[in-house]
Amino acid sequence: MVKHYRPPGKKKEGNAAKFVIRSQALKQLQISLPLFRKLCILKGVTPREPKKKFKGTHQTYYHVKDIAFLHHEPLVEIHRAIRVHERKIKKAEAKKNHERANRLREKTPKPKIDRIIRQRYPRFVDALGELDDCLTMVHLFAALPASESKKIEVESVHKCRRLAHEWQAFISRTHKLRKTFVSVKGIYYQAEVEGQTITWLTPHSLQQVVSDDVDIITMLNFLQLYEPLLSFVNFRLYHSINLKYPPILDPRLESLAADLYALSRYVSGNTRLSVVNSEALQSESEKIETKQNEAETGTEKSELRLAQLQHQLPSNEPGALMHLVEEVTGEDEEDQDTKECKKLFKNMKFFLSREVPRESLLFVIPAFGGIVSWEGQGAPFGESDQSITHQIVDRESQGHRFLSREYIQPQWVYDCVNARIILPTENYLVGRIPPPHLSPFIDYDEEGAYIPDYAKTIKHLQAAARKEVLFLPGVGKEDLEDPQSLLVEGVIDRAEANDAARRKQKMMILEQQYHDDLKKELQGVTHTSAGSKETSTGVVPTGESTTNVQENEDDMGKLMMSRKKRKLLEAMQISNKRKQAQHDLIKQRKKKIEEAQSQRS
Amino acid sequence: MKGKKKTMTQNDDEGAPSPSEKLPSPVVSDYDSESDSDYEVAPRNTIGDVPLKWYEDEPHIGYDIKGKKIKKKEKQDKLDSFLANVDDSKNWRKIYDEYNDETIELTKDEIKLVRRLLKNRAPHPDFDPYQDYVDWFKWDDAKHPLSNAPEPKRRFIPSKWEAKKVVKYVRAIRNGYNPFDKPKEEDGPYLLWGDDSGSTEKANYLSYIPAPKQKLPGHDESYNPPLEYIPTQEEINAYQLMFEEDRPKFIPKRFTSMRSIPAYENAMKDCFERCLDLYLCPRVRKKRLNIDPESLKPKLPSRKELKPYPITCYIEYKGHEDAVTSISVEASGQWMASGSSDGTVRIWEVETGRCLKRWEVGEAVNCVAWNPLPDIHILAVCVGQDVLLLNTCLGDEEEQKCIKELLWVDSTIASDDSGNKAPSVSWLKDDKHMGLRLRHFKTVTALEWHRKGDYFSTSFELLIHQLSKKLTQKLPFKLHGLAVRSTFHPSRSIFFVCTKQSVRVYDLLKTKIIKKLDTGLREASSIAVHPGGDNLIVGSKEGKMCWFDMDLSSKPYKILKCHPKDINNVIFHRSYPLFASCSDDCTAYVFHGMVYSDLNQNPLIVPLEILRGHTSSNGRGILDCKFHPRQPWLFTAGADKLIKLYCH
Repeated sequence: MVKHYRPPGKKKEGNAAKFVIRSQALKQLQISLPLFRKLCILKGVTPREPKKKFKGTHQTYYHVKDIAFLHHEPLVEIHRAIRVHERKIKKAEAKKNHERANRLREKTPKPKIDRIIRQRYPRFVDALGELDDCLTMVHLFAALPASESKKIEVESVHKCRRLAHEWQAFISRTHKLRKTFVSVKGIYYQAEVEGQTITWLTPHSLQQVVSDDVDIITMLNFLQLYEPLLSFVNFRLYHSINLKYPPILDPRLESLAADLYALSRYVSGNTRLSVVNSEALQSESEKIETKQNEAETGTEKSELRLAQLQHQLPSNEPGALMHLVEEVTGEDEEDQDTKECKKLFKNMKFFLSREVPRESLLFVIPAFGGIVSWEGQGAPFGESDQSITHQIVDRESQGHRFLSREYIQPQWVYDCVNARIILPTENYLVGRIPPPHLSPFIDYDEEGAYIPDYAKTIKHLQAAARKEVLFLPGVGKEDLEDPQSLLVEGVIDRAEANDAARRKQKMMILEQQYHDDLKKELQGVTHTSAGSKETSTGVVPTGESTTNVQENEDDMGKLMMSRKKRKLLEAMQISNKRKQAQHDLIKQRKKKIEEAQSQRS
Repeated sequence: MKGKKKTMTQNDDEGAPSPSEKLPSPVVSDYDSESDSDYEVAPRNTIGDVPLKWYEDEPHIGYDIKGKKIKKKEKQDKLDSFLANVDDSKNWRKIYDEYNDETIELTKDEIKLVRRLLKNRAPHPDFDPYQDYVDWFKWDDAKHPLSNAPEPKRRFIPSKWEAKKVVKYVRAIRNGYNPFDKPKEEDGPYLLWGDDSGSTEKANYLSYIPAPKQKLPGHDESYNPPLEYIPTQEEINAYQLMFEEDRPKFIPKRFTSMRSIPAYENAMKDCFERCLDLYLCPRVRKKRLNIDPESLKPKLPSRKELKPYPITCYIEYKGHEDAVTSISVEASGQWMASGSSDGTVRIWEVETGRCLKRWEVGEAVNCVAWNPLPDIHILAVCVGQDVLLLNTCLGDEEEQKCIKELLWVDSTIASDDSGNKAPSVSWLKDDKHMGLRLRHFKTVTALEWHRKGDYFSTSFELLIHQLSKKLTQKLPFKLHGLAVRSTFHPSRSIFFVCTKQSVRVYDLLKTKIIKKLDTGLREASSIAVHPGGDNLIVGSKEGKMCWFDMDLSSKPYKILKCHPKDINNVIFHRSYPLFASCSDDCTAYVFHGMVYSDLNQNPLIVPLEILRGHTSSNGRGILDCKFHPRQPWLFTAGADKLIKLYCH
């Protein structure tokens, strides 16, 4: 700490003692601004808001303890060493001593992030809770073009890609995916891992442009934290399902850029084997053996298919009985959601044609229990397979059409996943404009919220599906627990019930008001009649109007509130009004569209 | 040196015209260029060391020494040459010299030489590269050494630097670090959260606030949103007119199929902005109240239970030709007096609205006040610098007599008094109005009667007058600031003086200050004391009203900000738990103000009613309000020349 002269007996007090501005912090730490920023990013130190900004409002304030926390950080020392090292390298380069430069380069000290990760996220759940940004960033970098001028290295792009695929393979294998949403910005996924809801965005698999108005160094600093974080998280997750990490992938599939498929094969194959043998090592060797076999035999495709089938039919394996038992116990641990998700696409076989988002669908369909293949090399089964039930096509093609399968647009998959039921495919057939794709993240319970038509249809379908289940002999627990579905026999859904209740309430309020008005009027009349007896010159009896009664009451309540509460109330009223205006605007547009349609027809 | 003379062989290529001179092969000539050349013949072609490509398309290959073109030979047919090659057993030693356009046949010696060269040996077979060294120099006879320098020391001692380096390495090895090892491979991930038992460890740094999650997308961000979410072209154009901050950042678009979704151009930017938010934004825990706004309002008793209170305008008293500045209700509640800025004072019958009496006082009336005793019908009127005490001629004869006695003043005494004390007030007889006139030196704005009807106080210049003795006294206290209003305690001999910023409470018997109440207001305008005497309200020109509980503190118990404009008067009802305020914003508020005898219970204040009906004139609204002494009725005097009576 730098000591400043202060008159004896005078201590800094209050905010001035607790906070420092950024430049003071830099002086204390004796580091440059870029390094300070990097440290803040890695350690998760953010500015704080003092109650009184003693150096002006335009300054950034840090807590003294935060700065002390950075001061004790070994990273500072390592970065100093790195700087010294860089100077040496520069000198060696200048003297054309390339050998020394290379040797020095190899020996450059590297900051250790694992300790920081442990410090920031003491529990695994903490790490999962803050994984959203990490996943979004890693998925974005996986789609970026590597470029030297932007300092995006090929290795880091590859690593991001691998990490992203590992994560997806885990989610898909354990059926933890809950919601998907195809937006203009990319595809949103929401998964639930260990009770944490994790939402991330993957960009569309198209060339991303690195614009000049972003500071790539900042992003790389974040990536420096996020890459190891995700790898540690993946390690822990793979560990939890008895898998070795990092996974060893089939090089052939890898070269075909079917990483995800290779991974998921590894994941599902290995868990099965390890479950059966309960010895990871042995399974590993077996795995390698099968791989070698594959390499040797020419008929790789059939082999792959066999392997795929094997995953589906556990009874083929030697310790089938024991394995079955284990699976049952395993499923007990799984929650209701996971079970539901696992069964959604059961007994369905998908085939992806060209021009559909392959990576996304390869992730989503297995996550909900479907089997999937695609057009291209390394696919588990071809287009001519008779057992395919759904073929996903985006553009109408003139090729051969199989009658045994349905040709649907990719949106059907996402909508089914969000609704958790198999939607009728008529609207999604190829060549038709599909129904609107709705966000699964919207909560319709909010008062005055606008519900699109298609959401209502989906709710009806869901209710219908639930009703079916209800009448089956083996009644599910969740249906018994849901009293509303029993009450209205699964036909009227909750939103509608809410609506009805609201309407009723409104009616009641109106009625009440009317009665009040009547009463007031009556009183007014009696007053006037009483007054008219005694009127003389200069007296004008008036029945006071009651138009302002409601307004008055509002004002009355406000009068007795403290200023803080009053301001809060006003803010709430404003925000509510704004929300309502937003809903009204949409409703208005809807009305206009409907009018236009009716005129046309 | 020992090079053998080359023997040039005759080129006897069949079919090709033999050259006139013997020529050395280029290979040999290259090798043995320095040998003296008896037989050496200059090459036929003289073009020099230029690329032969230049002559590819020409009919000649170059020029001879005389400058004549050397014609290219006829190209042999492939089949013919092949047949010739097969026939000729010596064909393998023939080489085609492109430079001179001829074929050369190598001799046996030449081939041996080539072979030796290919094996990286000396070309000559007799050359011995490892022959013994013959030291031709005779050392024995030499007198002097070649160098006279002494042998350097380093030749005899081990190197210091090497030793240092060795020591360094030894130390490194001892420390378990092998400097000769390659740098270790980067260690991959491991089970970082193996046991979550470490979760309890308490970090000694500040509490960590996790970053808020990003907002989840709504329907409008869908690639195929419902039609009603897409703004029309006009709306999009309207966005341009908005402020940049208000403009929506994302405009929904619709794509009919998934393959037509383009790359999102702001993906990188969005991510970057999120990064900036993550490390540059101060994080503060904020409680988001997810409650109904109505629940914020305090639970107040229903207004119906607190009836009666004035609700509706019942009677309007018309007659004044200018703003009514002040009103006062007689103790019995039958009569009401009003003063206006048109210079008249009127007395009205409350229930009928009949104007009973009217005085012209000449100047604008500031204040009117009835004597609080029911049998003394004296009305005090403040007009400019004077206070008029008027006999209203109400009541029976005995009462009239009493009043006349009270209002009789000996002019000589009065003049004496004025002679003795210069700054005092002169009590004069006013013949015109049959009353008394008290001439002050300053304008009189307010007047308050004591409950016994003998004393009354006037302000600005704070004076207390005694009606029975016609005496005037100054307050024996130093006042800080100008007295705005003053009032007597309803039961004890306590006097309240309200200055602009504070209220001072004096004990008149002991003649000392009891309390100073700090209003915190900028400019107080009115004061009223609760009939119990322990509570008072102060209205201010900024529209605030302070309720003081004098047992509680010298700070306001409650501040009510109800009026947007100046409060002109505040008043308590004498028997009902009501109080009211009137303001320039043409409204009067009626409150329920219940004071409990239990000291532990705070006063209950409930706003009851906003009384409207007056209109504004010259920026002024309701100038005065008074409660009826018996009924829960409120009189209001407006700047719109009206007096209104609000009844329950």
